[in-house]
Amino acid sequence: MTLRVNGSTHAVELDARTTLLDALREHIGLTGSKKGCDHGQCGACTVLIDGSRELSCLTLAVSSQQREVTTIEGLARPDGDLHPMQQAFIDHDAFQCGYCTPGQILSAIGCVSEGHADTPAGIREYMSGNICRCAAYPNIVAAVMQARDQMAGG
Amino acid sequence: MSETLFPQSSTLGQPVPRYEGRAKVTGEARYASDVRLARTAHAYLHMSAIARGTIEAFDLAAARAVPGVIDILTHETIGDQIRQTPAIYQGGYISDSRRPLGSAEIANWGQPIAVVVAETFEAAREAAHRIDVTYKLHPSLAAGMNSPSATTQTLEPMTIGVGDFDAAYAAAPVKVEAHYSTPAQHQNPMEQFATQCVWESDRLTVHEPSQYVNNVKFGLAEQLGIGAERIRVISTYVGGAFGAKGFLTQRTALVAIAARRIGRPVKLVATREQGFTVSGYRAETRHHVQLGADSEGRLSALRHEGWELTSRGDAVAMGAVSMTARLYACPNISARVNTVATDRSTPGFMRAPGEMPYAFALETALDELAHTLDMDPIELRRVNDTRTEPVGGLPYTSRSLMRCFDEAAAAFDWKRRTSQPGSMRDGDWLVGWGCATAFYPTYAGNSAARVRLSANGRVHVSSAGHELGQGMYTMMAQVAAEELGVPVERVTVSLGDTDLPPAIVAGGSSSTASVAPAIMAACDAIRRRLGVDGASPAEIMPAMEASGIGVIEEFAETRPHGVPPDSMKGLYRGKTFPVGGVHLPDRVQFALGAQFVEVRIHALTHEIRVPRAVGAFAAGRIINPRTVHGQFVGGMIWGISSALHEHTEIDDRNASYINANLADYLLPVNADIIDVKAIMVPEEDRLVNRAGVKGVGEIGVVGVAAAISNAVFHATGRRLRDLPIRLEHVM
Ligand code: FES
Ligand code: FES
Repeated sequence: MTLRVNGSTHAVELDARTTLLDALREHIGLTGSKKGCDHGQCGACTVLIDGSRELSCLTLAVSSQQREVTTIEGLARPDGDLHPMQQAFIDHDAFQCGYCTPGQILSAIGCVSEGHADTPAGIREYMSGNICRCAAYPNIVAAVMQARDQMAGG
Repeated sequence: MSETLFPQSSTLGQPVPRYEGRAKVTGEARYASDVRLARTAHAYLHMSAIARGTIEAFDLAAARAVPGVIDILTHETIGDQIRQTPAIYQGGYISDSRRPLGSAEIANWGQPIAVVVAETFEAAREAAHRIDVTYKLHPSLAAGMNSPSATTQTLEPMTIGVGDFDAAYAAAPVKVEAHYSTPAQHQNPMEQFATQCVWESDRLTVHEPSQYVNNVKFGLAEQLGIGAERIRVISTYVGGAFGAKGFLTQRTALVAIAARRIGRPVKLVATREQGFTVSGYRAETRHHVQLGADSEGRLSALRHEGWELTSRGDAVAMGAVSMTARLYACPNISARVNTVATDRSTPGFMRAPGEMPYAFALETALDELAHTLDMDPIELRRVNDTRTEPVGGLPYTSRSLMRCFDEAAAAFDWKRRTSQPGSMRDGDWLVGWGCATAFYPTYAGNSAARVRLSANGRVHVSSAGHELGQGMYTMMAQVAAEELGVPVERVTVSLGDTDLPPAIVAGGSSSTASVAPAIMAACDAIRRRLGVDGASPAEIMPAMEASGIGVIEEFAETRPHGVPPDSMKGLYRGKTFPVGGVHLPDRVQFALGAQFVEVRIHALTHEIRVPRAVGAFAAGRIINPRTVHGQFVGGMIWGISSALHEHTEIDDRNASYINANLADYLLPVNADIIDVKAIMVPEEDRLVNRAGVKGVGEIGVVGVAAAISNAVFHATGRRLRDLPIRLEHVM
């Protein structure tokens, strides 16, 4: 089957049971998306599918064909400039171990584009599908607010 | 916060952004399971479904028939390929004393009893589920502390006595006596327990998230019966650890021999559920506390006895009465610790392992005493503040406890508190304010580092410390930059690899206190090499230029105060552990703090919220306020979680975990956390170690649970002495 990831097409031979997360990590070699539970409970595997945030551990790779998948590796510009959300996470120290971070960043982009980032309370609520065991939550909220304004402006 | 205690610096004490920040926001950071090895086969564990008994038979036919299956490891198929070795508590390396796949004996639910190796993850998982096991159940089972077949044992070496507790307690005009308990809890780092092993001829490389790569290396060598020089362990990034990745677990040797048997790299990622028994955890504790005081609140008698659940194989106890007995002035003290052996897996370390539960008991009891005396709980701590610990009369190297209380109280606006329970109700919300002391012993251990200075001003610093998210890369870069007078951007760092100079386990909040002095010592050696011993940082690069030398590389090892001289060889054998705290002959050393929380309980729904928390901490020199702030705030959120969320629930019928997943094991999510403020109280302590740091990784957790239970009492008038506190307890 073929998968469209970060603007490139990947031809892969996969078990019908293979999740999009395992397809990305084990077969395409994009290990930025993380496995924290494999059960849709933590958000570490969050990617954008056709622009909306989805849990790649609950998505079968076969069902992702003909759709555009964006992972953490696809956010920075080719010249290396970071996406405003990536930069905001650095600016606000919105992570510690960094393991939940790719999922947080993609989820945050989804949260902003859904219009759920108007207030800190809204961000907290709509970012609650992404567990951060290091508990960088207050800084994640601050980062989303910064990037929200930049994303609106740019 | 304007005063400067250590000399002003452009690097140390500055909020330098994380060294590895870009790697972590771009997905470039490679965690152990991200490392791509050619021709990797996938392993999947099969765990025991019973807690006590024997395996009578395996039926592996259906598993073997799954297409893609290469090998299945059981105690029958691997024979004695893995040796019996002592556990860490017996002076060895491994986190429990059971030999991996050692026999047909089952000692706990969730014990690895088979490993399937297959071409794909999917095939390995399917085959592992198709393994059929016939068990013979042992007739009796102890799932928890109250089980009749659990066996209790007092740990005599942990017993503490000073003065005459019984007489003083009997004579005390004011008394408090109560029992407390805390539940089993699991670290649940977001990164699961992954291991990849690859053999190249007779050399083994292990990629595994670890808090102590040299422990894994030397322990594995012992288990496999091969020379340690043939093993390399790499752990460049760790996706959270919190104690769960401190020591070698059973899985690593299994993956290593699987890779050797099939002649290919093997990758294991234990599932989240399996992870609940792959490593240790915070065991259940019970406490009995008695306090006697005079009418002014001065303690005359203190007794703290703890009981901690353990496995039948390993008597593990955190025993933090050694700290709770030494926090406040009191002439008559009695304390002891007991283990309660059950049919559960061996417990281990979880962020503030003993400090969290023991502080919950003592600091709640103190609040009960304050209430009995009708005294402000801050003032109760003040009248019992001390410069020397009461058991051995040893001095604190520094102690800023009351300053922490005063700063946190001011930030919290504590003076607006009315003391009567229920008196601060706000409409439908019952409001309570509570506080408690936070403490964490200051530890350090032997460590080594290498620093290379190039004529172009580039610096490379390396040490086999560990980046768990606490900011190790950044700290190492800052210390080297500071010492050598170069901008921090000019420094590169290597860590988490047994090929580097060895360092201490990343535990006991001791990494910076141990590794920073080693880096400083290596920079001293560079100064000496340049003939500018004692020169200021600004003089180094000019001296380097004048010398005409292209590169200088120096190695240094450091042994902290109180660590025996002959322990240095342990550094080179994966046996360096934190020393300090209450275990020194001449002094005690602690980071201290004060925790304040507001709790709101809805009168109708009984929902419990913590709208704000303020902590103030005095932890010596702060190398990087940015990363340290993350440690404090993250720790405080862990504290909230320890009180209100986390509880590993045990099925008494088979000693299994009911909620071994991230949906049912409650953790705080973003919506649970509203306003958490951490204040860094300036403190200079030049005794603790050369860097003047006390360690910040764990203290944030300590005391929050007590502050919350104290606030719940203040809100409702109900004293809740058992964690976690859930809405059904405040109805
Ligand atoms: S790995 Fe997908 S939600 Fe946890
Ligand atoms: S940064 Fe560690 S889990 Fe979020």
